[in-house]
Amino acid sequence: MRPWPRFLSLAMTIAVALRASHGAAVEPNAPPTFESDIRPILRVHCFDCHGGSEEKQGGLDLRLVRFQRAGGDSGPVLAPGDPDGSRLLARIRAGEMPPGESKVPAKEIDTIARWIAAGAKTARPEPASIAPGLGITEEERSWWAFRPIQRPAVSSQSPDPRVRTPIDALLREAMPEGPTFSPDADRRTLVRRVYFDLLGLPPSPEEVEQFVVDRSDDAYERLVDRLLASPHYGERWARHWLDAAGYADSDGATTQDAVRTWAFKYRDYVIRAFNADKPFDRFVHEQLAGDELAGPITGDLTPEQIELLTATGFVRMAADGTASGDNTPEARNQVVADTLKIVTSSLLGVTVACAQCHDHRYDPVPQTDYYALRAVFEPALDWQAWKSPAERHVSLYTAADREKAAQIEAEARKIATARANMQTAYMAEALEQVLAPIAPPLQTELRDAYETPADKRTDAQKQLLEKYPSVNISPGVLYQYDQAAADDLKKYDERIAAIRARKPVEEFLRALIEPADHAPETKLFHRGDYRQPKQSVGPGALSVCGPESGRVEFASRNGALPTTGRRLAFARWLTGPDNPLTARVVANRVWMHHFGRGLVSTPADFGRLGTLPTHPAVLDWLASDLRDSGWSLKHLHRAILLSTAYRQSSRRDPAQTTVDADNRYYGRQNVLRLDAEALRDRVLAATGTLDRTLFGPPIGVKEDDAGQVVVAGDVQRRSLYLLQRRTQPVALMQAFDAPVMQTNCEARPSSTVATQSLMLMNGEFWLSQAAALANRAQRERAAGLSAELLAGLPQSWKPAPVWQFGYGGCDASSGRTASFTPLAHWTGSSWQGGAALPDDATGWVLVDADGGHPGNNPGFAAIRRWTAPADGTLSVRGTLGHASESGDGVRGHIVAGSQGIVGQWTARHGEAQTSVENIAVKQGDTVDFIADCLENVASDSFSWRVVLTLAQDGGGTTTFDSRDGFHGPVSEGIELSSVVRAWQLAYARIPTRDELQAACDFLTKQIGHLRERPQQTSADRPPEMQALANLCQALLSSNEFLYVD
Amino acid sequence: MGIGAVALAWLSAQQSANAVPAKLPKEVTYFDLKPKPPHFAPRAKAMISLFQHGGPSHVDLFDPKPELSRLSGSEYPGEVQFSFINRATKTLFGSPWQFAKRGRCGTEISELLPNLADIVDDVCLVRSMHTGANGHEVSIRYFHGGIPGVVGRPTLGSWLVYGLGCESQELPAYLVLTDPGGLPVDGVSNWSNGFMPPLFQGTVLRPKEPRILNLEPPLHVRGAVQEQNLAFLRDLNRRHLDEHPGEADLEARIASYELAAAMQTAAIEALDISRETAATHALYGLDDPATREYGTRCLIARRLVERGVRFVQLFLAGQPWDNHSDIRNGLPAICRRTDKPAAALVKDLKQRGMLDSTVVHWGGEIGRLPVTENHGDSAKSGRDHNGQGFSMWVAGGGFQPGMTYGGTDEFGHRAVTDVVTPNDFQATLLHLFGLDHRQLSYLHSGREQQITAGREARLIGEIIEG
Repeated sequence: MRPWPRFLSLAMTIAVALRASHGAAVEPNAPPTFESDIRPILRVHCFDCHGGSEEKQGGLDLRLVRFQRAGGDSGPVLAPGDPDGSRLLARIRAGEMPPGESKVPAKEIDTIARWIAAGAKTARPEPASIAPGLGITEEERSWWAFRPIQRPAVSSQSPDPRVRTPIDALLREAMPEGPTFSPDADRRTLVRRVYFDLLGLPPSPEEVEQFVVDRSDDAYERLVDRLLASPHYGERWARHWLDAAGYADSDGATTQDAVRTWAFKYRDYVIRAFNADKPFDRFVHEQLAGDELAGPITGDLTPEQIELLTATGFVRMAADGTASGDNTPEARNQVVADTLKIVTSSLLGVTVACAQCHDHRYDPVPQTDYYALRAVFEPALDWQAWKSPAERHVSLYTAADREKAAQIEAEARKIATARANMQTAYMAEALEQVLAPIAPPLQTELRDAYETPADKRTDAQKQLLEKYPSVNISPGVLYQYDQAAADDLKKYDERIAAIRARKPVEEFLRALIEPADHAPETKLFHRGDYRQPKQSVGPGALSVCGPESGRVEFASRNGALPTTGRRLAFARWLTGPDNPLTARVVANRVWMHHFGRGLVSTPADFGRLGTLPTHPAVLDWLASDLRDSGWSLKHLHRAILLSTAYRQSSRRDPAQTTVDADNRYYGRQNVLRLDAEALRDRVLAATGTLDRTLFGPPIGVKEDDAGQVVVAGDVQRRSLYLLQRRTQPVALMQAFDAPVMQTNCEARPSSTVATQSLMLMNGEFWLSQAAALANRAQRERAAGLSAELLAGLPQSWKPAPVWQFGYGGCDASSGRTASFTPLAHWTGSSWQGGAALPDDATGWVLVDADGGHPGNNPGFAAIRRWTAPADGTLSVRGTLGHASESGDGVRGHIVAGSQGIVGQWTARHGEAQTSVENIAVKQGDTVDFIADCLENVASDSFSWRVVLTLAQDGGGTTTFDSRDGFHGPVSEGIELSSVVRAWQLAYARIPTRDELQAACDFLTKQIGHLRERPQQTSADRPPEMQALANLCQALLSSNEFLYVD
Repeated sequence: MGIGAVALAWLSAQQSANAVPAKLPKEVTYFDLKPKPPHFAPRAKAMISLFQHGGPSHVDLFDPKPELSRLSGSEYPGEVQFSFINRATKTLFGSPWQFAKRGRCGTEISELLPNLADIVDDVCLVRSMHTGANGHEVSIRYFHGGIPGVVGRPTLGSWLVYGLGCESQELPAYLVLTDPGGLPVDGVSNWSNGFMPPLFQGTVLRPKEPRILNLEPPLHVRGAVQEQNLAFLRDLNRRHLDEHPGEADLEARIASYELAAAMQTAAIEALDISRETAATHALYGLDDPATREYGTRCLIARRLVERGVRFVQLFLAGQPWDNHSDIRNGLPAICRRTDKPAAALVKDLKQRGMLDSTVVHWGGEIGRLPVTENHGDSAKSGRDHNGQGFSMWVAGGGFQPGMTYGGTDEFGHRAVTDVVTPNDFQATLLHLFGLDHRQLSYLHSGREQQITAGREARLIGEIIEG
């Protein structure tokens, strides 16, 4: 036994234990009753025509057993105890009822038969009278999700030492005999997990080490607190909420999909709200009714009002084609329906959309409830008094801004007037200059013609002007007459633009603002069709959450407000004590993001078609804890993150796996793939290119050459800030399951498909990030590594260029190259001894792409050296040329390392073919192309392009062209410490000795391979760096990178 | 033993108030494209759909109307559903083209489609299609997604590959061949996965290189270099898996790289039509500039299906069959471009013994009106939209060859006998693939969703080969 940590003991309240009671959970052998077993079946298949609506087909009402016994126009349909004598069963069995394609499943028919056979029992006496419609039964009302939240009793002592918190105690209690929680995850794993969970970003290698070495008792608690205080926490959790809210930066609905320039203001509001730990109830109130909270707007918006109006962007998220050519009643009503869907699926966890056309077939949501909810929004979202998207923009200009803008405009106008005057003067001047050479009578006629407005000119004047085109001076061609004048006018334009640029920037909000005194009547639409309005419905919430006597109703008008106050009342009801759904829905979502799956795995549907909570007590504990903490999400995170359930290892224990492969009992953590945003952010963080700026307009996207949507420009902000245009999802994001918003996203799938792999293998973005990681690793290198890790491994891979450029001599007696010294100075196009020629030490010697120039004597010959990258047989084709008509020419030798001189030629005022066949070479052998000056160095520029063909002993032929292979300085190669650094940057750990050995083997092999394939490398991508980039690509594509454990 | 049974066993032993409920969440969290058994024995294994955006004029192509010709120029006696009321007339417009009986079956086909006339004995021509709506998008979405006008639903191909997976694991299961001229009307929604995971989205085979995005590595990582990279990656992943034994998702990810590498080779091979004989090239009209482009895509479609792809759909840019004006020139032009390749596809599948198991579909979303949309000049006349009655044809995969089904009124405006809606067509198609459209469902928003969306859908037994 172990006492609770002190900080939790306050939370232990005694409460009635929640019984896991569900409408669907039935004692297996209990006889069926109408209310529990039969009514739900009839509700789905029969009530539409027989009871649900005013009009009852065949006069038959099936809502009560006694109505069934009484029957309809054709007599009774139920004979208790006699299934075969009950027409209810007979018509269903025969497939005659219900009409149409949909039939009652055999299992349900069997239930009906058993019920009738057992006497057609009801659970209790049926009511004497029944209101029209389906009403809500006691069974429906007692569905788990609609029952009040009850804080479960949690024993403060547990026999299991692994139980740290109430969450653990409740989970432990639900576990079967035997297994308990897994051991805590190791510290490196834990710190990574918490970073991704709370920030969506990886810890830096240094942050990991900091935590690993922190042995204080509260190291983990402090880590959690530190991350909860990070501004990046808000970004991560805003993204989760934006999924539920259906956030998009465009209108959608039509192919036009206009961009919503100012939607981001709402996104930024959400980030700020999460960072500030704004109480979630307040967060809900602001998003639904910020305009009603903001009070009257007189004069400038206060910062509080701006915040509140920004929050209403939530109810402006639905796709909306009414500004892009589809401003029809259907389109407007669709916006209203989508808005209701977003609100209810994100905050109520009940699918109400079905009730738009008829009573919900599965859940107790009558059609009137749907229209009661609609009535809540109708004054602000009135399809008959529709505000176009442009009209919803609220300018953030203050009166002072407006005044300042007007002042500045006035200032600009002054300059503009001055400019206009100057222009007139310049043009008059130009005209006079043109007219000056022309003799007076004609001169006057031309002036008159010019000064007459074009549409008033006589035909004679027009002809005259056509004859003298140069008289037709216009502002656009003034520069042709007087460049100085045009330049002067341009300066005016610049001044005007500069003045206007001083105007305060005008920003806007996309807000929902209810007009004052606007309370249109809400009608129930027959079958959801706006052309068939029926009775009026007042604002209200779900009946099932209200008193048994009727639905929760809200006042149609709130005298204290200029607006109706309906949304504010609804928002307060949502988070008030009478509604058990919202707190559960929110708590479930938070749990889902920490464990990869909600306690209810259908986060937007807590009804009969959703799934049941695996742990109702845990869900209620979380929901009540959330409420009791003043709706603090950070408090809830803390309660979850400090639990053993969260902190335990994800490693599967074979014994436990066999009984709980899906981890329904939380005997371990789940291994989860990073979502799209975290994955992209992680790679940018690893390469050091991530720009961590918060907030602001979205980063644009574009189609690349191949037609894929990619991020535009070089600004690498977090993925949250990428433009979320519905028709232009970024390919990488979409491939990794980021939602492409239609309405909203309730939960993301986590897919594993080959197209993702192709994207990481071949996609331009991933390859460029791999190269960036290689460059960073090479730049930074790991330090302080232990000798054991590095011992016995190659410490570096130095470049072994195939071509080198130097000087030296050929020793004719030995037939060898006497000496080879690389030339030290690179001019950008040639190698030579120093910056100026002749160089003090090496004279005139230089080597360039096509040839070069020898030095002053044969000891300073120009040498182009080739080194064999593999064993094989080499043939050489080439032409030694001496173009000058002067001098004594040049002499060329080819010296193959193993064989000595294999050819010698002289070129003087002409060319010599330098072909040699069948030179056997071993890997590392050099072949030198040596050009010397003979006796006289004057006029000795030469050309000597050679093409080498190497038939490798292992098969395959590679061609080396001296011109293509010519290059400037090469890289320094790569270091083993760079490889270790790549590991740290990708995984926030150093490699094991085995891994490092494997990496070395990979590099050595691939560098050798690439050296033989010059066409796959280039000067800015030499073999060593390319191999390191490829190693980095593997790291960035590996499971360790894609998953959090 | 599945977790459900285990949990139930535990539950019975559990008296705790906090017991795990009996009804465990039924959720599928893992999707793949491995072949899956249908509900019953299938006739068809693959489908090539030649979708014809715009509304091919059935009264000029498939549905001869002597009465319309006889009364051409006079007023239509009934009510007409127009789309463009501002240009509407009620003047009947008899087809300028001749129809004749073709093949052994004697189905009448217009002179505009001489190649279709050659294969008419293999074709089932439906003359009573009906969407009830004239708008392009409304009807397009009805055909693809099952509900008129609604976007955001999975398309026919998504449902097929969701239900049946794919015979080939080296090629995408659902491929879309777009036109070099651009996207069809309604853009990428034509091959949307809707609320299903992106796995079930159509993969676009682009009309130019690179044909499949990210399929080919850039030069510097091609060949042995990439093999080395993947071997190293495999090594990293194997070490990681050793630390996380039994994680199926990690294993699936490792396999997905193997698959991706195999796809690179397989797809390049599948798209290489130079491997086809000169006779095949001629059959599809690759030697004629008018038919070369569409013929190439039809031939590629056959090669894909041959290699196990489940569903291939071809689209034309924009909506070339939308002949509002100058139908006398516009309609023959688009017929010339498509008739020969489409017929060649059926011939080729048949000679290879693949037609029995491959459905070829040819059709648009609507048809056209029997009255003229007279732009003030009879030489420029065209026809307005008609969703009330139109034609399409199918061949192979168990559809009855050499028959016509259903009919329109004497003018061709409304389908009146054996009316077929897109939902009927979807139900019948899925049936040939061995699937019951009511049972093939996907859990979304807590609801079981089907392609026919619980709407009335008739299985048309009469057009299924007996």
